[in-house]
Amino acid sequence: MVTAEATPFVGRALKRKEDPRLIQGISHYVDDISLTGMLHAVFVRSPYAHARVRSVETSKAKVAPGVVAVMTGADLGTSIGMVPCAAQIPDMKAAPRPVLATDRVRFVGEAVAVVVAEDRYAARDAADLVEVDYEPLTPVVDPEKAIAKGAPVLFDQYSDNIAYRWELEGGDVKKAFEQADVIVRQRIVNQRVIPVAMETRGVLAEYKPGEKTLTIWSSTQIPHLLRTQLAAMLGTPEQFVRVITPEVGGGFGSKLNVYGEEALVGYLSTRLERPVKWIESRRENFQTAIHGRDQIDDIELALEKDGTVLGLRCKVIADLGAYYQLLTPLIPTLTGLMMCGSYKIPAARMEVIAVLTNKMSTDAYRGAGRPEATYLIERAMDLAAAELKMDPVEIRRKNFPKAKEFPYATPTGLIYDSADYQTCLNLMLKKSAYKKLREEQAKLRKQGRYMGIGVCTYVEICAMGPSSAMPAGGWESATVRIEPTGKVNILTGASPHGQGQETSFAQIGADVLGLDPEDVLITHGDTAVVPYGIGTFGSRGTAVGGTAAYKSLVKLREKLAQIAAFLAGAEPDDMVFQGKKIFSKSDPKKSVSFQDCVSAAYVAKTLPPGVDPGLDATTFFEPTNFTFPFGAHLCVVEADAETGDVRVKKYLAVDDCGNVINPLLVDGQIHGGIVQALGQAMFEEAVYDEQGQLITGELTDYAIPRAGDMPWIETERTVTPTPVNPLGVKGVGEAGTIGGTPCFANAVVDALTPFGVRHIDMPFKRERIWRLMNHGKMMNDGKRGSAQSPAGGAKRIASKPSKPTKAAKVKSAAKKSAKSRRAK
Amino acid sequence: MKLSGTQLLPASPEEVWKAINDPKILATSLPGCERLDPDGPDRYKAAVSFGLAAISGKYAGSLELADKKPPHSMVLKIDGRGLPGFVKGEGRVELHAKGAHTELRYEGEAQVGGMIAGLGQRMIEAAARKIVAQFFEKFSSVLSLKS
Amino acid sequence: MIPASFDYHAPKSLEEALRLLERHGDEAKLLAGGHSLLPLMKLRLASPRFVIDIGRLRGMSYVKEESGVIAIGALTTHADVASSELLSQRCPLLKETASEIGDVQVRNRGTIGGSLAHNDPAADYPAAILALDAEIVAATSSGTRTIPAREFFVDMLTTQLKHGEILTQVRVPVMKPRTGGAYEKLFQPASGFAIVGVAALLTLGAGGKIESAAVGITGLGPKAFRAEGVEKTLKGKKAGDALFAEAARHAPRGIEPLGDLHASSDYRREMAVVFTRRALARAAANATGKSA
Repeated sequence: MVTAEATPFVGRALKRKEDPRLIQGISHYVDDISLTGMLHAVFVRSPYAHARVRSVETSKAKVAPGVVAVMTGADLGTSIGMVPCAAQIPDMKAAPRPVLATDRVRFVGEAVAVVVAEDRYAARDAADLVEVDYEPLTPVVDPEKAIAKGAPVLFDQYSDNIAYRWELEGGDVKKAFEQADVIVRQRIVNQRVIPVAMETRGVLAEYKPGEKTLTIWSSTQIPHLLRTQLAAMLGTPEQFVRVITPEVGGGFGSKLNVYGEEALVGYLSTRLERPVKWIESRRENFQTAIHGRDQIDDIELALEKDGTVLGLRCKVIADLGAYYQLLTPLIPTLTGLMMCGSYKIPAARMEVIAVLTNKMSTDAYRGAGRPEATYLIERAMDLAAAELKMDPVEIRRKNFPKAKEFPYATPTGLIYDSADYQTCLNLMLKKSAYKKLREEQAKLRKQGRYMGIGVCTYVEICAMGPSSAMPAGGWESATVRIEPTGKVNILTGASPHGQGQETSFAQIGADVLGLDPEDVLITHGDTAVVPYGIGTFGSRGTAVGGTAAYKSLVKLREKLAQIAAFLAGAEPDDMVFQGKKIFSKSDPKKSVSFQDCVSAAYVAKTLPPGVDPGLDATTFFEPTNFTFPFGAHLCVVEADAETGDVRVKKYLAVDDCGNVINPLLVDGQIHGGIVQALGQAMFEEAVYDEQGQLITGELTDYAIPRAGDMPWIETERTVTPTPVNPLGVKGVGEAGTIGGTPCFANAVVDALTPFGVRHIDMPFKRERIWRLMNHGKMMNDGKRGSAQSPAGGAKRIASKPSKPTKAAKVKSAAKKSAKSRRAK
Repeated sequence: MKLSGTQLLPASPEEVWKAINDPKILATSLPGCERLDPDGPDRYKAAVSFGLAAISGKYAGSLELADKKPPHSMVLKIDGRGLPGFVKGEGRVELHAKGAHTELRYEGEAQVGGMIAGLGQRMIEAAARKIVAQFFEKFSSVLSLKS
Repeated sequence: MIPASFDYHAPKSLEEALRLLERHGDEAKLLAGGHSLLPLMKLRLASPRFVIDIGRLRGMSYVKEESGVIAIGALTTHADVASSELLSQRCPLLKETASEIGDVQVRNRGTIGGSLAHNDPAADYPAAILALDAEIVAATSSGTRTIPAREFFVDMLTTQLKHGEILTQVRVPVMKPRTGGAYEKLFQPASGFAIVGVAALLTLGAGGKIESAAVGITGLGPKAFRAEGVEKTLKGKKAGDALFAEAARHAPRGIEPLGDLHASSDYRREMAVVFTRRALARAAANATGKSA
């Protein structure tokens, strides 16, 4: 009876069901939807980073051709609630943001008025007629200057720009540093980046006055949370609000949010009783959708001579921007939770100073706080290895917790679920022929060629998460409905937007019920159809949402087993689902077709006693813990001393995300994640000038990676299932972004070691690398001495440093190293 | 964005000083200047329409001459706002006699904001240099016509 | 794209386009591939009242040889120049330069005439056009005139073209025997424009003596230029790495390079030296048929 069909679909590299419609351009995004009588909204936005708004004059715009309405913050009054923030940190300052600014603007792009017209052209023309009288104020752009005494203050009700201070400490940090043989220190900047989803934001709202229903189509990652928040902001009863998420062209966290525009467009439709659409321009997207990262970190690592890490201390200045979006204040704390990485560090302490500045808010960008943590610890491990003249692989290996020590409790209060770091690292070393690479590097250096090898062994936190640890629920829902014709519909509360759940969930469904993936449809992103869910972010789609689906599928399988056993004269516990049949394992002749069994459930004439008709099951799955995927990445680069150009020669990613539903999807996530990781390391940077103008305001100045910039990415896997969910899956959506950036950075620093370089801040622009590689030449050249100090900031300190915290206050790496030279 | 340079002018510092303080000459020299109306002592309201190839925009703003030390130095302040964004600049101008001529040295800083600030980084500085150069070229030719 | 409103004209002939241009004066802009004008219109930094779309004119996209000169129609796309069999035989330097412009989408839409007329300070073509001593043909309703490349580029975004003129053709001399060309470019990672682009053309005589040398450089200053200091240093001497290194040092002489967030003035200056040396070495190798 064992046939080819018995091979499970889970684990197969099936092509994505989503792809044909996306590749052919026949899918539907918000802007593809048009409604009769639809109006168009265009926003008037501040060109100033910081200004008082003296007046907003709309009379000319109001009478412009095609204009239906012009509204200012004053016109709105209290009709719409403030932009919501779901994260609360103790003693955090409020930073209330109205959907339209009234008396003050605090970043370039902040909306001050909205024009609604019969078409987009008329709305845009009229927006130019809105006259705003601004009184420019001194902007606060640099977060370190923002917290200095005498800095201008963003919110007059406060005396400074510190949003909050937060500390996390575990173990005896003081003792660890007192006992250390060596302390490694470095100031590390994790620069601000822009998520750059291919599809910008877009909202379409339709209020039906008769029914009093408000339907919002929005390019969002969180339809249900958005609906709840919009209902609250607009004062509309939630049952009258419906959010539909059509195709979403990328989010990376930038659509894990509730934006003022979403509420305002809904409000306008309600007021005007006509559908209203707003489609964001790329410039607006850069200025007004959330940014990521933006931390200045001072890290200190205390070690014994043999490389054993005793303790970790880190001071983080996190630039939150001018206001809080949905999760803004939460992100730096995630850095704290993950600061120990994949190492057994007995004592760790992080101090976060979160700062308000005249810039767009930062929030969850792919990885959200964890890439920052991984970057810190992985750079610090390399600095320590260099200081102790150890191989970066050996220092890592030395500090791994062993496989048998899991579940492993970190001093930051987390419990790592399951792992075998050693095996994963070994596979990476074997597949990359690490020893040979080091030999090649030594040979090339003799020829004046600068090859660098970077290693990163990361752990991340996924499957967000238990509700106790989440701002607004960490569970996920799924309803499985088997239609009378035997076809299956999985309605998931996770709202995928490119992750491929339409394929992977269908694989799970097909295996549980003995069907083909084609028999299983995944429905998502419509609050009127799908039960309440949390959304897709934090690598939770499959681990939490998939588990909810699995549990609902199992419930229906149990019910079908009862019916099938009844029809076939067998025992429910003995029923096997395979090849569209349900049969007895001990007597396969006792068999019913899946279709007949489903029909029986609906016709309801031959049901076993006590079994209700219908086939519909819903599960709200609450995980008991996060999951902690991990991996070992290796990157080989070569730097050209003449130009500073760095080429990636090899990239090998060995990842362990637990069980794999579809290897093609996992590889795709790894590839995309690494590309974004290298993008940040190589070029990406949201640059605000001293006046708070975003000068990387278009794709002509904000560089994102292209295919030609990228290496061939090799992927390998180890599989350590998680005990946290029955599928044993951990999550993989952010792994590449988390492991990739430090891996590349370590490779570049390694390549530049002959130049005395110990650390370089991102992005590794050619000019920056070139200056480091030509430092001597530059110094001889008198007038051009602006190169960064090649000495970096790591230093060996006598076994008992007198005041180690003092060094953390020293601002620049260059100054610090000068100081350490004097100390010697 | 920092801008600096020198320009040799065919007149004495006193004559140059007079010319800079003459709104008519200023208006003629300012590229794209449509109007320059007095707005208090040493202050003017200006309307400028500036174009560089396809890029064009109208700006309304003010021009101010401050810290005047005749005929040696002054500070020029400009402030313009228009649909493409805003421009703000402040520069020190010094006059040094060079024989019968005057060497004018300028050094200043300009800020741009709004739509123009986020477009083509490499273009903005070049355009600013060009505008300043055009101004002094024109100013110089007006002076030589006068003398 | 939500530009300010404009009147759109799609003339059927060059004559009609010229008439329209004459009628609307400086309120009109010509549209060819649209890769310079449309982004500006989208941001409303350009708001022409009239857009005259010459991109649909027939017979202005071609690459053909006419008695020792390659004539290229103004509407020939970068992709067509980059894939021209004729150019790969007769003027590989131009073909190579076209293949380095922007990305595939830009090359498929952008035209040689549009690029030259716009005269972006970091455009690729001007470097090669200067090194090749090409000529630019401009038409008015009263006739045509031919402008040597060296006179064509006036300043940033400014050329010799006057209002009412349409660039119709680019004329490139066929590369002589024992002549090699190379275009070496440092990409701006976001836009694909040149931070520095160097087009070198070398003719080698007996014993590797350099009979003629031409070097065009883009990206460095407000407009592309011929690096005469480099050319003088090379002429009459025997080709070789040491000579190229020495000559390349003259590349940025007399230019105050622009600086921006992608590359400082200093870095651009240094890269002009490096990329000139590389372009010279490869041009020499191409001249002798050896790969560098």
